[in-house]
Amino acid sequence: MRLLDHLDPLLSGEPAVALATLIAATGSSSKKIGARMVVGHSGRLIGGVTIGGCVDAQVIEVADALVATGGRRLLSISLDDDEAWEIGLTCGGTLEVLVECVRLRGGGDAVAAAHRSARAFLDNDEAAVIVTPLDGATGALVIAESGAHHGSLGDTLDAGASAVAADVLLTGSRVETIGGRRFFFDCHAPPTTLVIVGAGQIAMSLTCLARELEMRTIVVDGRERYATPARFPDADDVRVGMPSEIVATIRAGKRMAIVLVAHDYKYELPILRQLLRAPVGYIGMLGSRKRGAAVRDLLRDEGFTDGELDRIRTPIGLDLGGNSAAEVALSILAEVVATRSGNRR
Amino acid sequence: MTAFRAVVLEHFRRPRNRGLLADATVSAEGANSLCGDRIRIQLRVVDGAVVGAGFTADACALCIASASLLTDHVRGMSVARAALVDAQWVHTAIEGRPPPGRARCAALPLETLRRAVASLCAVTL
Repeated sequence: MRLLDHLDPLLSGEPAVALATLIAATGSSSKKIGARMVVGHSGRLIGGVTIGGCVDAQVIEVADALVATGGRRLLSISLDDDEAWEIGLTCGGTLEVLVECVRLRGGGDAVAAAHRSARAFLDNDEAAVIVTPLDGATGALVIAESGAHHGSLGDTLDAGASAVAADVLLTGSRVETIGGRRFFFDCHAPPTTLVIVGAGQIAMSLTCLARELEMRTIVVDGRERYATPARFPDADDVRVGMPSEIVATIRAGKRMAIVLVAHDYKYELPILRQLLRAPVGYIGMLGSRKRGAAVRDLLRDEGFTDGELDRIRTPIGLDLGGNSAAEVALSILAEVVATRSGNRR
Repeated sequence: MTAFRAVVLEHFRRPRNRGLLADATVSAEGANSLCGDRIRIQLRVVDGAVVGAGFTADACALCIASASLLTDHVRGMSVARAALVDAQWVHTAIEGRPPPGRARCAALPLETLRRAVASLCAVTL
């Protein structure tokens, strides 16, 4: 859940919410550090810090109380209980969940201000880390990828927090101790931008599934009759023109995934020439091994190295055994996610 | 007959005049809305003569070869003569008529060149 995207709509509808964040886990945990749940004053729930069950129930109980009283609480929850142990269904381990009341009206709430600040960085395509004290102190520090920051933990702590934040941006959210005090470093990264070249049936399925995965999608084609907003209601952007020129206007970076599904070398070659030497997170191209080899041969003749050419994922996607457009789209997005998480190089 | 004669392959792999013309006098774009070929032809004109011609394209081999040959051909011509280049010249340059269904690919650069020349004439008038 991208809480930052939900914050403003919540602001208009609720006087206060409780924000629960999974900050640490030992043993098995089904959710990533940084998983969040919002518990509204009205009782509404968005997201979750675990896959559900007893832990979320405990968090909701505390959150309901905090919405009324205000403040911040750190919960340490054991995943071992006697009954579960007896019947062999225990998960094992412990979780730490930070629950904070966020007062949404009046503009003076430090947690709301920190999240708004982080979102401003994200809107500028910059990752940010929110640093929250876990010892009951109020306030928060937001540190952006560029080193820009908002707020303060105090002069003696800010420099140390900045150094940890730089590492957290690479490795993910975690708890760290600075100057004998514990802080949660919560990494917020802009969404993956999925650039889809070729506005056919697979592209339609890609935009649909990518929305669920909270990716930003841009559909690109040279054909007006294909790349229309009516065909791509789930896309964030649909652009018609010379595809290589359109792609050149999109900021290339590790959070960009380019998916070439036009199955047409006229689009593939110019775009590959641009991106094979750019720091793009994922490059995939629809086609058989034979076709992929032919494209590589053409580019090799132009001076691209084997290392550069190995960046092209073709045949595209993880082999899930499916053939329909939706199944191919699923396999492509599975590979994008696997590459992003470092499970596939 | 194949579209990929040696001359087409040569100009596709090593296109002449490809790239943006920094000091272009006129620029025109053309597209084949069904196959998705897209091309931009640019001319630099001094005293009624084409002193520079270039193109950018996301297009098939036949279209790129046609654009490469055409921009080479018109460089040095008067604008009036460039306007008279016809499809027959293109077919000769690519060493034969395009195969069935590919005529638009070879013709797109010429159509775009004519549009560029026409807009130049409109500006001049």
